[in-house]
Amino acid sequence: MSCSIELKNVSQSFQSNCSDSNSCESNTSKNNVSTITLFENLNLSISQGQSYAITGPSGAGKSSLLMLLSGLEKPSSGQGCFNNDNHTSALDNLRSEIGFIFQQFHLLPELTALHNIALPLKLRGDKQAIKKAKHWLAKVGLSKRANHKPSQLSGGEQQRVAIARALVFSPKFIFADEPTGNLDQHNANEIADILFACCQENNAGLVIVTHSNVLASKAQNIYSLANGELTKTNASLITPIFEEQQVEKVVINTAQVAPC
Amino acid sequence: MLRHHMQLAWHYFKQEYRQPHQKLLRWVQATLMVFIVTLTLSSSTIQHYLQGNLQNLLGADAVLTQKDKLTGKQLTSLVNFSDIVVNTLQINTTLTFNGKWQRAKLKAVGSDYPLQGQLLTSTSFKNAATATNGGPTIGNIWLDSRLFASLTITIGDTINLGDHAFMVSRVLIHEPDRLMEGHNVSMRAIVNIIDMEKLAFPTDLIQHRYLVSASKSQVQQLIDWQQAQLPAAQIHHKQGVHPLALFWQRTENFLGLASIILFFMAAIAIEQIAQVHLKKEQYFSAVCMSLGASKATGLQLSLFKWFINILVLIPIVAILSGAFHWLIVGWLANTFAEITWQLDVWLMAKTIATSVLLFAVFHSPVWLTLYQTSVAKLFHQNQKSLSLGLIKLCALAVLAWVALTYSDNGLLTLMLVGSIFITILLMAAISWTVLTVGEKATQQFSGLIPFTLFMMKQRLLSKSTQILGIGLSTFLLLFTLMLLKDLGDTMVSYQRTHDGNVMVSQASQSQMNAIQEWSKEHNISLRQSKPYLYAKVVKINNQTLSEFTTKPSDSLATLSNAIRLHWSESIPNNNRVVQGQWWQKNTKNWQQISLEEEVMIDLDLTLGDKLTFIIHQQSFTFTITASHVYKPGAGSITFWVQMPQAAIEHINAPQYNMASLELNDEQWPLLSQLWQDHPTIRMASLQELTKQFDKILAMITQVISGFSVMIILLAIIVILSSINAFESKEKKKNSVIMSFGFLKNTCLQLNIIEWLITALIIATGAIAGTYITGMLIYQSQFSMSYQPNLVVLLITLAIILGTVTLLGVYASRHSLKSSVKQLMADV
Repeated sequence: MSCSIELKNVSQSFQSNCSDSNSCESNTSKNNVSTITLFENLNLSISQGQSYAITGPSGAGKSSLLMLLSGLEKPSSGQGCFNNDNHTSALDNLRSEIGFIFQQFHLLPELTALHNIALPLKLRGDKQAIKKAKHWLAKVGLSKRANHKPSQLSGGEQQRVAIARALVFSPKFIFADEPTGNLDQHNANEIADILFACCQENNAGLVIVTHSNVLASKAQNIYSLANGELTKTNASLITPIFEEQQVEKVVINTAQVAPC
Repeated sequence: MLRHHMQLAWHYFKQEYRQPHQKLLRWVQATLMVFIVTLTLSSSTIQHYLQGNLQNLLGADAVLTQKDKLTGKQLTSLVNFSDIVVNTLQINTTLTFNGKWQRAKLKAVGSDYPLQGQLLTSTSFKNAATATNGGPTIGNIWLDSRLFASLTITIGDTINLGDHAFMVSRVLIHEPDRLMEGHNVSMRAIVNIIDMEKLAFPTDLIQHRYLVSASKSQVQQLIDWQQAQLPAAQIHHKQGVHPLALFWQRTENFLGLASIILFFMAAIAIEQIAQVHLKKEQYFSAVCMSLGASKATGLQLSLFKWFINILVLIPIVAILSGAFHWLIVGWLANTFAEITWQLDVWLMAKTIATSVLLFAVFHSPVWLTLYQTSVAKLFHQNQKSLSLGLIKLCALAVLAWVALTYSDNGLLTLMLVGSIFITILLMAAISWTVLTVGEKATQQFSGLIPFTLFMMKQRLLSKSTQILGIGLSTFLLLFTLMLLKDLGDTMVSYQRTHDGNVMVSQASQSQMNAIQEWSKEHNISLRQSKPYLYAKVVKINNQTLSEFTTKPSDSLATLSNAIRLHWSESIPNNNRVVQGQWWQKNTKNWQQISLEEEVMIDLDLTLGDKLTFIIHQQSFTFTITASHVYKPGAGSITFWVQMPQAAIEHINAPQYNMASLELNDEQWPLLSQLWQDHPTIRMASLQELTKQFDKILAMITQVISGFSVMIILLAIIVILSSINAFESKEKKKNSVIMSFGFLKNTCLQLNIIEWLITALIIATGAIAGTYITGMLIYQSQFSMSYQPNLVVLLITLAIILGTVTLLGVYASRHSLKSSVKQLMADV
């Protein structure tokens, strides 16, 4: 059964104390509190089983958009909903159906790789937690590192563990914030392939926020958020040529999913 | 440059002022400083007061006291060393009037009394006191006001002492030579010295006191003469120490030793705080260095910041300590008449400086780490630091210093430190067992409890530190409170089950015979009777007591006066030999003794050491061949020093007896007759003992309650510190859990379960630790069998569970303010 997340006419803005009047351009009140608008009247629909990349310059509001989509934040205006089997509910109900992957991996340092992966299952009372965790560890190619703690793993290995941990409880959607931001090009490619393949195999919707054109190009749907506007970009127009310089252009290549 | 660094340190100090770890550090340091400064000031005030007392209340330039009357030759020598000598006599007796009795100290003086100072008396309660020269005339007796009330007697009444009648003619208000009685609350009476001779009390019960007027050099000559000729006599003089000075030194030492508990808790708190402190300082210093600053800059900034932190506390500590000192002096005024509050600023400064030095030792590992830090540390944050181990070592060094400084009772110190060590091991074992077994047992189950156990097991090391920290604080608090309660309960029950409700502490052989006849005649049960004689230790291994040891202790204080020496063929039923061998029956080797274990430890004595006693003006040397301890359940009369039965044939000295009697309600009035016939029998009823005990207990309760407040305060700081140390980890854990699709509520539930399990381990460990400590200390220090109340223990368990969980959950509320967003922002 397919489900989707929908944002309808959502706007996001926040208030900021402005010490330098030159830097606060819009809606600055007398007591130097300014309202900064990230985006207005934005519409977006995310479907389970599809992959999405959101690119854009720093400060454009990509992470805020991710927070809105995952239901962790409420929009300033507009509404978000979760459609499940023709049944529509608020995004709050999505909480148990989503997993996150972070740039800093955020594995718990006291736990081994295996136990980090088993963590969400144990928390849900799954008696097969360790068995399933072992299975996922094998999927991300780290069977031999099961008893290693995060401090004994490389950045790439830690992110593989984080991917396995996010997917082990079969969430319907995965939200990843710069999942390859801390990795070298070679590792980034490997991790991206694993991430996309695993999500596809699990029929999980994948939403990635990234500066990397190479990573973005692997998604089926690519969006660019800039100047408060979200634009869907044609994959054929994007080429990952300025990857090394981290030029934030919307460059799309065909999404290629590695076997999982 | 230095000034610039100081300004920078001040700037960072202000910035960090409100950070939790800095706040907690200030609380710990301030609490400890206030305690130590208040204790030192109060103790110094008492010592000053006693010194002042010595000058004003000796009633002479020197006073020689001994049990026997000086011989003519001795008296001639004494007169040679002085300008004037005034002789007074004193005896403990029981006064009876109209079927009522009251223990009192009866003094006999002549017309030459007082030597110095004023004797104040009055002809009635309404009249003002007047200075009187000379004591009562023959046939008269003066009583203090409490005796008037106790015996319901009035001026003009006649009181009988033995076969003699005395007329009560004046109210005794003040004697100028009361110093020797210290703070003895015995009631007082005075008769003429000629009457005392007529009363014909047993000579060995009378204490002879010679008040001497002499110059400084004469006093010194007198002391030399006394040491050579009358080693068993006591001499007090204006240049010497107050007879109670040693006692108060011991009181201060006891409280100081108790402060080891506070230092221990502070060490735990500082150790927890230092974990956060170390990371922050190291990071800051490495960043400074990466920006071109020298290593010394980071170190200087840290030192200045720490010092400013202390400086800010000093005025608060000074004000609070001054205030507490004032309150304590007010409280002590009940015991020490006319004691006045006076602030010794120099002493306060010295004590604060010492405390600051101790805190510097606690903190030194942080500076050592900064000294070793490098920019490379920025890249390797999770290096195992040597400093955390060093923090523990430094804490141990400070604790050892405190223990050594204040310890005057080796056994008690050993027990206290040993109990803490046992409790640490116990807590570690319980933590490991509960978490390992709990995790294994719940592996097959689902839910939050198995998950919490699993997480706690995975974090066993860090969790154990937290459990140890809070657990020890709880143990120490519990032990202090239990000591207060159980000491009261056990002593009361001990007295109730005591074999007899009247205790005879001194009865001569003829008096004992009279007691036996009297009890037989009235069908009163005589439970126990044990003989003894008075002996004063003058030398140990041929050294005088003061040469042998200067360390104040209970044992030394007791041995400074005459002790009761018991003789017995075999080991008494209520004793057990712990070292050496008890003598054979009918042994010919009579110069051997068995000494109580505590005395052996306090004075650092071993088997084979020789003790020289003066017994009835003769010198006897005994070899220690055994050491014994009290064994409950077979009577309460026990002796510190015991010798073979054969010894008594070689010692010509008055013999006395200790005994216990059981009287029923109807038999109580019969005591009056016994006392009237034998006023010098020393007896105390259970009611009197209980009354005395209640007074002591009330004082102990006040002291321990104040102390408990300190411990509670520090325990809260320890809990907050341990939570503060793990807050960032907890926050991250909660955020990660929320990233799995769980709500904050789940994190809260997990938090509550975790604190419940933690509290359960802590409570079990603390109660078990308290039980073991109770068994050890109660038995060795109070000779009492420890019988904890199960209901009280269970209630305690519930209270600890509730309090630790609530406090833990409340204090962890910041770590629940986590979100997935924070994990995303953590780049």
